[in-house]
Amino acid sequence: MRSSRLSLSAGLLLATSGCGVYALPPGATMQAQVLRQDWIVFTLAGLFVAVVVFGLILIPLVVWRRRSDEYPPQFRRNTKLEITYTIIPLLIVIVLFAITYRNEVIVKHLSPRPAGTVEVTAFQWSWRFHYPGTTINIVGTPQAPPQLVLPIDETTRINLTSSDVNHAFWIPGFLFKRDAIAGVKNSFDLRPTRVGVYLGRCAEFCGLDHALMSFSVRVVSRADYNRWLRARRSSTISSTKGGAS
Amino acid sequence: MCTSIFYFFLAGLLALVIRAQLSQPGMMLVGPHQYAQIFTLHGTAMIFLFVVPFALGLANFLIPLQIGAPDMAFPRLNAFTYWLFFFGGITIFSGVFVNGGAAASGWFAYAPLSEIRISTGEGQDLWIIGLLMTSISGILTAVNFITTTFLYRAPGMTMWRLPIFVWEMVATSLLILMAFPSLAAVLAMLFIDRHLGGEFFTASAGGNPVLYQHLFWFFGHPEVYIMILPYFGVISEIIPVFSRKPIFGYTGLVLSAFAIAGLSMGVWAHHMFTTGVVTNGFFAAISFLIAVPTGVKFFNWVGTMWRGSIVFTTAMLFAIGFMLNFLIGGITGVMVASPPIDFQAEDSYFLVAHFHYVLGGGSLFAIFGAIYFWFPKVFGKMLSERLGKWCFWLLFIGFNTTFFVMQFLGVMGMPRRVYTYAALPGWGNLNLIASIGSLIMAAGVLVFVWDIITASLSRKHAPDDPWGGYSLEWWTTSPPPEFNFVSLPPIRSERPVFDAKHPELAKEQPG
Repeated sequence: MRSSRLSLSAGLLLATSGCGVYALPPGATMQAQVLRQDWIVFTLAGLFVAVVVFGLILIPLVVWRRRSDEYPPQFRRNTKLEITYTIIPLLIVIVLFAITYRNEVIVKHLSPRPAGTVEVTAFQWSWRFHYPGTTINIVGTPQAPPQLVLPIDETTRINLTSSDVNHAFWIPGFLFKRDAIAGVKNSFDLRPTRVGVYLGRCAEFCGLDHALMSFSVRVVSRADYNRWLRARRSSTISSTKGGAS
Repeated sequence: MCTSIFYFFLAGLLALVIRAQLSQPGMMLVGPHQYAQIFTLHGTAMIFLFVVPFALGLANFLIPLQIGAPDMAFPRLNAFTYWLFFFGGITIFSGVFVNGGAAASGWFAYAPLSEIRISTGEGQDLWIIGLLMTSISGILTAVNFITTTFLYRAPGMTMWRLPIFVWEMVATSLLILMAFPSLAAVLAMLFIDRHLGGEFFTASAGGNPVLYQHLFWFFGHPEVYIMILPYFGVISEIIPVFSRKPIFGYTGLVLSAFAIAGLSMGVWAHHMFTTGVVTNGFFAAISFLIAVPTGVKFFNWVGTMWRGSIVFTTAMLFAIGFMLNFLIGGITGVMVASPPIDFQAEDSYFLVAHFHYVLGGGSLFAIFGAIYFWFPKVFGKMLSERLGKWCFWLLFIGFNTTFFVMQFLGVMGMPRRVYTYAALPGWGNLNLIASIGSLIMAAGVLVFVWDIITASLSRKHAPDDPWGGYSLEWWTTSPPPEFNFVSLPPIRSERPVFDAKHPELAKEQPG
């Protein structure tokens, strides 16, 4: 009995680490590593609670089915037990809150000296990426989604807003999103840790072409980034409305 | 109640269209504008025209019976609230027939999307007016419930002998009184913005779109508990009867209802973690705390079944299904209450899965449990236990097939409210599984409809007390006569009918 329960929980652990917690993307920024940790802690805690409570619900269904017309003992309360099962969940959520709070502080931390800044403006139904201090201004359309280019291992500040309705800037590969709201400037830092192209999309329903309001993020090395900046600068005049690069 | 079931069928049909559209990437069964109308109406109808009104309708029937009263305190007001709700629903759906179609900005209709510059159609106005009518209906009903419970109890029915369902409705009514005015206010402000030149939510004119979110969710989160507390009550009535024991931890259940109601007034901004303008830590902490009284309820239900003598009727199966599904909804709820998780899960299919586990796996299963439990009392006819079990298993399997996979889709990056999606690895298959699940659920609902039709046509009368019930409604005839009771048993505990029939077991007398 005991060993079968052990192997069950070991199996669950394997299952979660095997398919990477709910098929969660690996997380391609420094911030995403912290977010991912939160997912793992909460998923394991959730599985633990699920196994215990499912067990508690299913045991009576198997053990105490109706077998005769006799009424079972008519007890109504057990104050000590009730206080215990109030306090235990309380302790669990306090621990979870401590973890969550610490992680959120890290993710929301704004570096005093980011290496670069991008002004992101959401509109119906695409995105504008403006690199301040340069003339680079990438404007997409639903049919030609724009691409954001970020250097690896450097902190880029994103300043996000909307020019019309509410949108949300979501990069599932970074495990992160933030709302774009007219009249609000939302700032956050991204520090990519893996080279690659990541899909991004609008997460807040924003009207007709919400489903097509996507973009991509290309994470490149510093050398490639400099090369890209030079190329964009020289071609800016011809492609201010250029869409994808 | 019957009207809310009618709206449930309408909203369920809309859900089937949604699942058909999303069954494969790139399907074009409906266009983007139609799709937006469909999910807006689906959400609005399920929440405002089904889950809440069903609870209010059930309570309208049960509260007077369970407290031993002849009727509600204000019967005319009661009729008025029904018609407000009925025509409110008609008004919302009538948007389908006007230029530009029905409202298409989602069930929470965020401004500025719902402002006149962008949502130009009259459908949005009809939505505002219809919702205002249902929210006023809700407020007046809550007044009626509270008055009835406090003033119309039979002799001997002290507050601490009230059935748990009545307690949960008191907590729900208080929440309605605190939350619905905020909804009425935000709807009125939106209407003023749209037609009288107000700029409450327009940033360029000095307004603030975030204000809309605050006002809406100040109503919208208590609303979630308005949709679940009555069903905690339903479950707390069904489980003891079919465990053939009294409810375990009565006081804890009552206190936890008020703890949940109180805490739920302080969690609204957990819908706004990603806006970047609220204190996430505070709202996360209060949201986590709600898990504690909810956990207490689960343990009390387990305590009620513990060492009992469990009878597997259809109503009991739905109560068990409720617990299993709602547990998943609760666990994913604690997850999304953690801002770092919410940064990925918000507005994704993970969230869609979470709230369907709460409202579909939770409230909907309790509604079916309530129907199978109280149908004989309301209509004097028995539903078929055989068909009922088919209905339960089809719904249970279909529900979990549909919504379990959505958690994975959300984590992988599928946003909600998209009419189509790209053919990314795994997405097509997972969506297809979800759509197949919705067909299984539809089959379950068909079995249910067949059950209702055959039961209604049958000549067989239901006995007054088919289940060995505890509370006063099982004392009177099925259906109850005008003014409910001819006589009442002595009331010395929270289960007077049981005490009267089994005096040898009625030892302990709380309250």
